[in-house]
Amino acid sequence: MTRTSIFAKNRGLLITLVLLVLLPFIVGLFDGASPVAVWNNLSGNSKFIQGLAIEIFILALYALSYDVIFGITGLLSFGHSMFFAVGAYLTGIAIKTLDLSLPATFGIVFVASIVQAVLFGLVLPRVRGITFALVTLGIASVFHIVIMSTELGTYTGADVGLQGVIVPEWISPANERLRFYFIALVVLISIYLLYQRFVNSPTGRVCTAIRENESRAQMLGYNTFYFKLAALTLSSFTAALAGFLHTLYQPIVSPNVAGLGFTVTALLIILIGGVGTLQGAFVGAIVYRLLDFGLRRYIGESASFINGAVYVLFVLFIPFGIVGTWRLRSFQIKQGWESLLKAFHPDSHQ
Amino acid sequence: MENILEVQGIHTYIGQYHILQGVNVQVPKGSITVLLGRNGAGKTTTLKSIIGLTPPREGRVIYDGNEVQAMRSFDIANMGIGFVPEHRAIFRDLTVEENLKIAERGRGDYLRKKEFIFNLFPDLQRLITLPGTSLSGGQQQMLAIARALVADNKLLLIDEPSEGLAPVIIENMMSAIRELSKESTIVLVEQNFLVASKLAEYYIILEEGRSVQSGKMKDLARDKAAIHHFLGAA
Amino acid sequence: MNMLIRKNLVLIITLVVIAFMLGVAAQGMDRQDFVITLLRGLAVGSITFLVASGFSLIFGLLDVLNLAHGTLFMIGAYIGWTVIVRPDTIMDLLTPLALILSGFALGDLYPHLSSRIRLGLRMKRFLPWALGLVSLLVLGFILPRYPIAIWNVENYSQSPVTFSFMASQGTRLPVQPATFTEISPAVALIGLLLASMFGAFGLSLFGKDAQRTVRISWKSFIGFAALLVVALVGFAYNDSLTNALTALNSNWLFLIAVIVAMASGAGLGGLMEATLIRPLYSRPIYQLMLTLGLSAIGIEMVRAVWGRPEFVTPKPDFFNGTGGACPATNFADWWANHCSTILLWEGRVRVYNEIFIPIVGLVVLISIWVLLQRTRLGMIIRAGVQDREMVEALGINVRRVFTMVFALGVGLAALGGVLAAPSTGLSNFMGESLFLNALIALAIGGLTNYPGAALGSVLVGLIQQFIIKYGQIGIPVPFTEIVFKPSPPLVPASTVLLMVIILLILPNGLLGKKE
Repeated sequence: MTRTSIFAKNRGLLITLVLLVLLPFIVGLFDGASPVAVWNNLSGNSKFIQGLAIEIFILALYALSYDVIFGITGLLSFGHSMFFAVGAYLTGIAIKTLDLSLPATFGIVFVASIVQAVLFGLVLPRVRGITFALVTLGIASVFHIVIMSTELGTYTGADVGLQGVIVPEWISPANERLRFYFIALVVLISIYLLYQRFVNSPTGRVCTAIRENESRAQMLGYNTFYFKLAALTLSSFTAALAGFLHTLYQPIVSPNVAGLGFTVTALLIILIGGVGTLQGAFVGAIVYRLLDFGLRRYIGESASFINGAVYVLFVLFIPFGIVGTWRLRSFQIKQGWESLLKAFHPDSHQ
Repeated sequence: MENILEVQGIHTYIGQYHILQGVNVQVPKGSITVLLGRNGAGKTTTLKSIIGLTPPREGRVIYDGNEVQAMRSFDIANMGIGFVPEHRAIFRDLTVEENLKIAERGRGDYLRKKEFIFNLFPDLQRLITLPGTSLSGGQQQMLAIARALVADNKLLLIDEPSEGLAPVIIENMMSAIRELSKESTIVLVEQNFLVASKLAEYYIILEEGRSVQSGKMKDLARDKAAIHHFLGAA
Repeated sequence: MNMLIRKNLVLIITLVVIAFMLGVAAQGMDRQDFVITLLRGLAVGSITFLVASGFSLIFGLLDVLNLAHGTLFMIGAYIGWTVIVRPDTIMDLLTPLALILSGFALGDLYPHLSSRIRLGLRMKRFLPWALGLVSLLVLGFILPRYPIAIWNVENYSQSPVTFSFMASQGTRLPVQPATFTEISPAVALIGLLLASMFGAFGLSLFGKDAQRTVRISWKSFIGFAALLVVALVGFAYNDSLTNALTALNSNWLFLIAVIVAMASGAGLGGLMEATLIRPLYSRPIYQLMLTLGLSAIGIEMVRAVWGRPEFVTPKPDFFNGTGGACPATNFADWWANHCSTILLWEGRVRVYNEIFIPIVGLVVLISIWVLLQRTRLGMIIRAGVQDREMVEALGINVRRVFTMVFALGVGLAALGGVLAAPSTGLSNFMGESLFLNALIALAIGGLTNYPGAALGSVLVGLIQQFIIKYGQIGIPVPFTEIVFKPSPPLVPASTVLLMVIILLILPNGLLGKKE
């Protein structure tokens, strides 16, 4: 494969990447802050936007991890928030209570994410479909209850949430936010590329086959268990990574991230963006976070009413999500453009 | 003779598959008409299109002088069409009696028709309290036909009544169907050419979703070449 | 005999295990504690069962996992509260709601209409949206101006909490009846009727049935006419009906509350199925998401209308007697005084919470069983669970049965809500926790199995209540001196763990059939 073809294939991604790299500086310019000031992390609109963007990146990462098991492999898990919460809480406990360094913490999170994927994997061969959803819901709600319990309060902060995690200075979200922004961006983009690779790999194709018709995939001779386990592991790792970043970025980790509501958030994001599209996770995260932010700011408490309504409207009228609908329509749109061009250059196609 | 059912050039899609691509069927009142054809020719889909379970996208279905192709299937059924599907489709969680009662259209249909049904299928009477699961294949087929008799149906659509049955039972089934044809018009789908040729007066041959030939059964029985061409070995 | 044992092996083992556990528990605690805990377990189980059975009926026939079921349970509770504490509000709401529903009761007429109207393709696309928009605009214009006497969430002295408190003291706050000021009554009534018809027509055009011709008979108009009569009677005799309701004693009012809550739950369920869920039968995952979204909307609506603080529905006087003769010592004694508590084996048992609710649970269990096994509707439901197409080919309108079952299921949840309200109180979260319980109960018992729903619910209720009890008195661990006290978080965790274990051994639950 030649160099140009890679660029041509990922042209949209490249443009997005460039735009996102420039975003803090552009926002700074609108605000009258010079790029140097932005570079030095002076507070201002740019820093605020960076914060919002970091949250979006983390959400996108988390939604991406849900897309690979639900959108690609077709496993409906209601316990996905546990993947995220395990990463978030382990990071907090490792740094705060065990006083570990950042790489060591990351190592622990990595190992733990594999272990929990295997734990979920244990139930895979026994249950399918809606029962799988219920079992995962069960496991996750036990975990939610455990971290909410007062007995473990010294580690998890019980129902208040985990707080007082001291992040190393070089990545501190307060003083080095721009660096944090770039790190989160790089993580997101590399995980996205990894996912794209995964989906187009033979393993990923079998996963898609499982979504379409598991018995047929089995009849073709694939042991679907291993493929589902692979997708789960990848997903678990990504979600834990998102949780890891979340703990580093947020001053307080609310126990809500372990609840069913947070799984629903992931579902909502990929529904808005487009189930099984990967890019949808990113688009959905942007729409979801901005909508939530805007609504909370201007409407206040009843924001989740609008959120619910948006959700219902999406289900009824845009079931393929923004990216999915775009993909379906882009062919027609292209044709539309061409016919327009034809009108301007009547003889170019003769 | 007057036609009770006329299917005019219907096209039916299932999902994106274009299953029926122009089927014409004419069923004279009081006759037994059989749909013949190889597997996948569209015989079952034709029956389902008539009763509206797979509504046709184009063409017309005229039953008893009314256009029914756009009606909902229960409305079509209520105009007096009984449907005996492939593989019998007995309700497993219902007893034999409930399987019959569920087909009532008016109160007391079952009580009124009971005697007639049990005369036709004496076996069913002693099975009346058993759950649908416990019946043998032949008994299930009898029950499925009996179910279509509970309401007063002018037209019966019967899909593969001889499928998977022992020869003796097929004989019984055939005499029962002959008996029924005195009261109502019957459209059969039948793979077994021998059974079809003994029962039916008229035939329609389907091939790849199209009706290709039709006429009187006794003419077809002589036409060995056509039988061989359309239906494989007779 | 042998066959019977083998067939019901799981059930027998389960019952033996339950009996054994109860026996152990009875040895380990005072008799009064045991009796009370047992009854409480049955009470929680009954409420869980009301939600679980409706959910499982809907799932069995329609294949819809109605994740909004917990929210509908909560809405039932709040509606019941409104009837008891603010009968005037309910009377004011009756007319507009009946009018809004009436248009949808004409369901069969719209396909007929649309087949008569010949339109261009572009107009056909445009028409449903236009109708829906007109309907929403008219509703948006009339509803805020329609006079409804209501509490005020913002103002404490007019808030539900205050009304609730006064009602439990046996008095009513005086309220100002609302009157038509901004809009003429005729315009309001006709506008609502038209808005409803437009909306229903528009929605029906979205559906697949729009192209199908439908035969209509006079039967299609019964529902419409009935709703219209209700609306007009409610409008004309608003004041006298309100006075009559306010003057009723609390027992009758409670009964009316139960009926109204069930009816509105059923109406809401039927509307939900007919408008929102029906277009999604071919896409099950989207149904799941839709009901999830509806659940969120429902919770927010409850918050907006009834506010966030918790309050309690007052118990009917029938179960609320106090005085010298209380607590009653036997049932004859109780019948004479209607005490709120009764002494059973030295334990003080609350009659409403721990005796009445389990009895209602049992009654519902039996009546639904009879409905399923002995009626034509039940027969159609059981047949439809297996093969919808065949039922339809027999000439039965399966769609209508779907709507009825959905309405029934939601009605049962609403019944659970209105019954639970006097004992557990009303809160924005009551739906979620109970729904989780119901899901666990169903997963344990078998998702579409009706007896399984009952067994699972009772199991969940008993386990939770016994663990709460053991949390207070502690379990002595055998052969040691240690006393283990389960902490409160273990209550939900225990049932969830039980569910996971049972599902891993029997993926279809205790009584579920193999696929």
